[in-house]
Amino acid sequence: MSQILRLKSLKIILITFLIYGGLVATHEGEFWPLSIYPMFSQGANPWTRALVRDVRQEDIDKFSQVTSIRELPGEPVPLGAHGIDTIDFSNFVSKTEEWTAERKQALRTMFGEDMIAEHDLLVMKANGIIQPDNEIIIEVVPFILFTPEGNFKLTDHQ
Amino acid sequence: MFLQNLAQNLFDYDKPETEGEVIFYKLFEAFIIGYVIHLTWYWGLYIERISEVVLPLGLAVYIDPSFMFDSSLPIWNAVIITVLAVAGFFRISPKITYSVAMLLFHWQHVTRFTLGEIPHSANLIGMTFLGFAIAHVCFNEQLRIRRFSLGFMYFFAGLGYTSAAFSKLIGTGITWADGRHLWMWMSEKSVDIISRTGDWAPNFLQTLAFDFVWIATIILLIGWITELIGVAMWYKKYRSLVITLIIGMHIGITMTMNIRFDAFVAQLILMGYRWDKLIDYGLARARSMNFVYRFSKRFA
Repeated sequence: MSQILRLKSLKIILITFLIYGGLVATHEGEFWPLSIYPMFSQGANPWTRALVRDVRQEDIDKFSQVTSIRELPGEPVPLGAHGIDTIDFSNFVSKTEEWTAERKQALRTMFGEDMIAEHDLLVMKANGIIQPDNEIIIEVVPFILFTPEGNFKLTDHQ
Repeated sequence: MFLQNLAQNLFDYDKPETEGEVIFYKLFEAFIIGYVIHLTWYWGLYIERISEVVLPLGLAVYIDPSFMFDSSLPIWNAVIITVLAVAGFFRISPKITYSVAMLLFHWQHVTRFTLGEIPHSANLIGMTFLGFAIAHVCFNEQLRIRRFSLGFMYFFAGLGYTSAAFSKLIGTGITWADGRHLWMWMSEKSVDIISRTGDWAPNFLQTLAFDFVWIATIILLIGWITELIGVAMWYKKYRSLVITLIIGMHIGITMTMNIRFDAFVAQLILMGYRWDKLIDYGLARARSMNFVYRFSKRFA
């Protein structure tokens, strides 16, 4: 009896495994909760993340320049304290290819009007590369400014 | 022979079930169901902040999840999943209850994670719940449901870790463990921390890894080997050792890259050790003490 049960169980595992393989192979490696777990599989690739600064008290000349991670303009805005998932935020900023009015509005929705009423939110892209001399450079590019008056794209940088 | 040995290690239907195993399984099932309910509500409430689909995944590739945005549907989905999960837990509903809940749980996940990256933090919970769903459809007896669910979980958890090790070999090759790659990932994650908290300073391990590339290389190498041997958890003999190493790897990932896998680690702690034996021991002690108590009362 237990032999039949074991065989049945292995058959179910095998069928699940085949469906698993088929789904991840045809869906970019992900069909939650099925996954090939590709995180951190590619070493040394340049990356892009995003962060936000409050520049209400800053002059536009000061915050519209490309800068380094150590010389950020304005005041920090800890997104975690506002209940925003920073991975979502970074991916939304870095993976959006065309910044339509809807996309800008979607980012504004993520922040919420209460947050924008209190701060002028400058979304900045942080681009990381490793140089041939092994130095890691993080260049920070001002990208979109959200104020109570509207959404202003500062650069054509994608 | 290999398959017979594997099936024996994963399911072990011949072995009589102890009280400790039954109690542990019910507590473990409660842990999984509790997490399913927690996640479904957490995701459901977060969907309110989403209004655009950047990268659809899973069923969202075929059904545009936009209709879930700006509506109470994610909350209703959470209500239905909660009711089904609780009904399934108390075995007061049809066999397909967990399967329907799993499908809706998948939908909640793909609606929540449409913004460019799918996280893996809830995958082990999801796979285990999928195992429950399949077990309830394919088996009738509770013992078989319990043994199959656990075996299914160990099989796919082990496979997942080993698959991650192979993904790294395919993605980068044998140079994957180069410590400079860890520098890049630590730098990348430091921006996420600045974004989340407004500030970041390297801890002791990060400082060491940044200062000495060979230390960063060793950290990656240990992590990769630990992932590679993930399938060894299929075998009872190696299960506790492998899972302990994997828990250590997750702690290492948290310390170097600030990525926390709370659900994974909590579940691995339950999966890795013989809590059922501890419960059996506790029950035996309680019974013997009760016997001593009654014996002493009788002759006092």
